[in-house]
Amino acid sequence: MAEVENKVELDWDALEVGETFEKFEYLLTQEMIDTYRKGVMDTEASFPTIAHKVDVRQYNDKYTDSGSVNARCAFHCYNPPRAGKKLTVTAWIADKYLRRGKNYIVTEAVSVDEDGKLIDRVITHELKQPSEVGKKWGG
Amino acid sequence: MGRVIRNYEEGDEITPLVKEMTQEAINLFEGSSGHSGPSQFTDEEAAKEVLGTEGTVASGRMSLTFAIEMLRRHFGPEVFNHTGTVDLRFLRPVRPGDTITFTGKVSGTSKEANGAKVSVDIEVTNQKGNTTGVGQGSAIVPNAFLPPEDL
Repeated sequence: MAEVENKVELDWDALEVGETFEKFEYLLTQEMIDTYRKGVMDTEASFPTIAHKVDVRQYNDKYTDSGSVNARCAFHCYNPPRAGKKLTVTAWIADKYLRRGKNYIVTEAVSVDEDGKLIDRVITHELKQPSEVGKKWGG
Repeated sequence: MGRVIRNYEEGDEITPLVKEMTQEAINLFEGSSGHSGPSQFTDEEAAKEVLGTEGTVASGRMSLTFAIEMLRRHFGPEVFNHTGTVDLRFLRPVRPGDTITFTGKVSGTSKEANGAKVSVDIEVTNQKGNTTGVGQGSAIVPNAFLPPEDL
């Protein structure tokens, strides 16, 4: 894998299932929650963590590639996060596969708040040939 | 909000949820995490470069959020926010200007150690009738939320 601007160029064949990324921490603010709720048009939306895309954040910090498209996403709710709490995310490569000649990478992440409360789990399948969207669905 | 006690049966229809997708909504969703840079979701040039599309698209995670909202309204936040799941596959892009409708139907129930697992089939369609996403959701409804005859 070649290094590009402190990132590693993705070598899909060499990518190891089970690779776990450095933990990522962030403070969830009330402003983040309010903005999220406006965006999703739901004043009771309880998991603003979805918009943080924490499952792929650490991957994107480490690797450079040609982009991606979200093909599938699973979300498990455990406890709604609260404003003012620091969240710690552990993310890893859960799987990779070829389907119809296209490469997919599956990332998984678990978020826990500063009190040790389990918040959520997210699993995302990303197609690593994003231009397929334009080819298939056009302008 | 009080505890709602109800039963769940295969074939039960979930109240549909309709959302009007706008670029403003997409921008708010993307910006809520503190990210402000251009992306395929917020910038037409980036969308053209990365996806090859003429305009922006909404993140699949917005559809995921809406599916979660539909099921939270059905099961109640006391249940769904603690035991709910949604697994959604994205079949077509959702774009600004689209009206997307989420529908669901209970596909089965099963006993669990901590209540009853209720599974739901989910479909998302746009204003043209095209399916933009399909998937499943579930919640484990604690016994305390089920009628005595269902225990």
